[in-house]
Amino acid sequence: MYQYTAAELSSMLKKKECSAVEVTESVLGRIHAVDDKVGAFITVTEELALQKAKQVDEKRVAGEALHDLAGIPIAVKDNICTKGVGTTCASKMLENFVPPYSATVIEKLERCDYVPVGKVNMDEFAMGSSTETSYFKKTRNPNDLDRVPGGSSGGSAACVSAGEVPLSLGSDTGGSIRLPASYCGVVGLKPTYSSVSRYGLVAFASSLDQIGPLGRSVADVAMLYSAICGRDNHDATSAVREYPDFAASLQADLKGKVIGLPKEYFGHGVSDKVKDAIMKMAHDLEQQGAVLKEVTLPSTDYALNAYYIISSAEASSNLARFDGVKYGFRAKDYNGLVDLYEKTRSEGFGDEVKRRIMLGTFVLSSGYYDAYYKRAKLLQQKITAEFHNAFEACDVLLTPTAPDTAFKIGENIGDPLKMYATDICTVTVNIAGLPALSVPCGYDGALPIGCQLIGAKFSEQNLLNTAFAYEQSVGGFNRIPQIR
Amino acid sequence: MEYEIVVGLEVHAELNTKSKIYCECHNAFGLEVNTQCCPICMGMPGTLPTLNEQVVEKAIKMGHALHCDINRICKQDRKNYFYPDLPKAYQISQFDVPLCEHGYVEVMVEGKVKKFGVTRIHIEEDAGKLLHGGESFEGSLVDFNRCGVPLIEIVSEPDFRSSADAKAYLEALRSILLYLDISDGKMQEGSIRCDVNVSVRPKGSDTFGTRVEMKNVNTFSGAVRAIDYEAARQIEVLENGGTIEQETRRWDDAKGVNILLRSKEDAHDYRYFPEPDLPTIVVPQEKVDELKASITELPNLKVIRYVKEWGISQTDAETIIDNMEKSEWLEAMMKTGNCTAKAAANWILGDISKYMNETGKSLVETKLTPEKMAELISYIEKGKISNAAAKQVFEILLTEDRNPMDVVKEKGLIQISDEGALEKVVADVLANNEKSVADYKNGKTNALGYLTGQCMKATKGQGNPQKLKELLLAALEA
Amino acid sequence: MIDIKHIAKLSRLCVTEQEEEKFAKEMENIVAMIQDLPQLDDTGALMDPNQPMILREDTAQQHFKRDALLQNAPQTKAGCVVVPKVVD
Repeated sequence: MYQYTAAELSSMLKKKECSAVEVTESVLGRIHAVDDKVGAFITVTEELALQKAKQVDEKRVAGEALHDLAGIPIAVKDNICTKGVGTTCASKMLENFVPPYSATVIEKLERCDYVPVGKVNMDEFAMGSSTETSYFKKTRNPNDLDRVPGGSSGGSAACVSAGEVPLSLGSDTGGSIRLPASYCGVVGLKPTYSSVSRYGLVAFASSLDQIGPLGRSVADVAMLYSAICGRDNHDATSAVREYPDFAASLQADLKGKVIGLPKEYFGHGVSDKVKDAIMKMAHDLEQQGAVLKEVTLPSTDYALNAYYIISSAEASSNLARFDGVKYGFRAKDYNGLVDLYEKTRSEGFGDEVKRRIMLGTFVLSSGYYDAYYKRAKLLQQKITAEFHNAFEACDVLLTPTAPDTAFKIGENIGDPLKMYATDICTVTVNIAGLPALSVPCGYDGALPIGCQLIGAKFSEQNLLNTAFAYEQSVGGFNRIPQIR
Repeated sequence: MEYEIVVGLEVHAELNTKSKIYCECHNAFGLEVNTQCCPICMGMPGTLPTLNEQVVEKAIKMGHALHCDINRICKQDRKNYFYPDLPKAYQISQFDVPLCEHGYVEVMVEGKVKKFGVTRIHIEEDAGKLLHGGESFEGSLVDFNRCGVPLIEIVSEPDFRSSADAKAYLEALRSILLYLDISDGKMQEGSIRCDVNVSVRPKGSDTFGTRVEMKNVNTFSGAVRAIDYEAARQIEVLENGGTIEQETRRWDDAKGVNILLRSKEDAHDYRYFPEPDLPTIVVPQEKVDELKASITELPNLKVIRYVKEWGISQTDAETIIDNMEKSEWLEAMMKTGNCTAKAAANWILGDISKYMNETGKSLVETKLTPEKMAELISYIEKGKISNAAAKQVFEILLTEDRNPMDVVKEKGLIQISDEGALEKVVADVLANNEKSVADYKNGKTNALGYLTGQCMKATKGQGNPQKLKELLLAALEA
Repeated sequence: MIDIKHIAKLSRLCVTEQEEEKFAKEMENIVAMIQDLPQLDDTGALMDPNQPMILREDTAQQHFKRDALLQNAPQTKAGCVVVPKVVD
């Protein structure tokens, strides 16, 4: 049963063709069968999942009106706080941290009666592109176990790809939902900044972070996005607006839709296989009535630099609270307060986190603020304006999600700059606060290729519709690889 | 050489809002440790701040009170540093765009009106408290209750030239904070705290000396001691050929000394940057105007007016103004035009204050009104009744809603001031007390008191004592 | 040159001699990359009045018990978190 999409399961549950307990047992069975190979989960909440599933079945028997997500198992990235369930950020620092509160998205899903199956692996504090910086374990790409699943939401993408759950939540600061979605061959949505509450998401870079859904179909992603978006009074950056039911409003009509191809995203560094796959998809959309148009986003080349400055600056401040005083890891032997701080943080954080903290501290430190942080913020305004112009002429932009397919485990871990370069196609979207969707658009051997659809702020429906049309024309994305 | 002291002040005032600045925890003092906190003010991972609108409004009111420009579009910034009482390891504050700036305040110092510049007022959060255990315990304990209590920081220009200037300014700020219901102003609870910047320079110089910042100044009198101590220390260093280092020192009020906390080299690098969790603060112009309109005459300006227009002493004016009701009464009494300010002030500081202190009641709880009180005082001033009689009437009017003159008449308290009638009384008393008259003439001047008493007795207490005394003297000296 | 020792101290991280060399080299490379930014006109303070913040009404509530808030603390005593002795 694990191989069904969430929409299919939802319909079966409604028709009482199966029970939530059966669905949950099926995915738990799949997790037991493959997760020692895939390594997606940090925590599997088996008892809790079965207990919730049982409650949903009881509610259904009692004739209660239930949400489409009722009884659907969903995995959650381990940087999203879950009351009473460990939330580690894949760091030694939070190895034993059990939050006394839940993130707003979790409270929303609880009201939908979702089935919480567990917390999934990620790069430590979401810093990375391969999930290799996790303190606990490596997560492997279900399509090729020697390769990374991408990151930082590697667990969220791998567990969906491997059929361990139909849906998951990830977070995306510079591509952390889209890159693993692309590498693992699933659909991942990075929503418009401010559309999903960040309350309870352990912050990496507050002005860029956004929680989003991953699934094996566009409709599933639309359904989960509808459940988590909306104004939250606990998040001052959350937008005040009404949202449609994205899944119910899906339409496959592309007639007259203008699809922009920003030339900067097809330059050197992008593999030919990837370029070919994207163009093939573009032409598929064209055949369905869309109009292709080349556009330019001149500041794209600087975006990665601005991204690393802004995200590291915010991270250096956001991660300062992990000091061994109130929660989390505390070093064993220390002599005085400063020693406690330094030992705790040096032993509790991995190297990539330390690098970003130091980089962020550097760009904000006395004498450097204007040269780095201020200039990066000014560039952010320029990039945002360039996108705005592009969306005057286009409905959607089409780009690769990543320059290449998934790389081998260990291949880039020693070279931070090479690792950072994998985010080159995704970071601009976070910098401009836009929504973007990664959908599978082909394979290079066993390895999936992802295409990124970028839209204007709050144009998620339009992105989902475009992806839905493509999904229909290729006969669906739901393809669970053999795990070997 | 003669030196001039230059002082600037950074005042932190806790606001008396119901909830904290960034979360819904109660803003309450003195409760059991770590019972007034939540994941947000304890800086737990994933939590986010939401700004309390009352904090913005109260800060703007203070800005208006200090004649500031209001930056109705402004932002918040993070000030990053590690300390156990700061759970997020950054304080949300304001850096380059404070809510209010470019203001001033007029204060009466030793009878003279002085104007002190206010650089800026910004909003920020308070930190927690460190408790130091007993001898049996090595470490320190952290209580997070105070984390997130709203603060405004009021930064002055270096405009004070003496500790007296600084004290007068601090007292004026406190009275304004209380008047506008911005802070409870409780010094003993740390509701108002200040950092003091002190430098000295040769008298007549127009450049500033190197300034030293002093922390841990917790009372206004402590501020005076700290400033005087630091100025003397700096002058001594200079007199001995030394130079002043830019540094931060810690004032120890119990010992009356300060000690080096950190030198310039150890100065913090706070790495300020805009708080990404809080969008731009935009206060509508109408709200800014409305807050301005809500401000009535402020205590510092009232002091100046009472002294200049009404001739009340600065101390008396300050004492009356310290209590909102007393000052409202004085204003209302003066409005009737029935009494002089001095007499009204004396009554307020005398019998009225005594009544309020003894009963713990406010005047609204009595039957007395300022109008009746002014009328009663006018009877004394016109010689219609004696001071003693007025006190009697005052007591009655506190509990009975009656016309003052009716009470005076009913109690037969009208004073006899008619000279003809009093002369007759004096003549009778002198005739009946020959011994006393003789005593007086032999130099026993205290006989006059006895004779006056006899006259009062003869008039059943209603004779004007002043007039009777004059007539007696005239008769005796004749 | 980036003063890694100073940056590490500001970040409350301690780096060993070996790490210092490694981090210094990596940081040099990263900074060399990120400093390539165009010179743009300064538009003043970083604010966006078009996205004004919604302020919270001043109401107070108590949601959490002390035990729950301190459940993750490494060391507690008398309802407080314990740290090495400090003088403020």
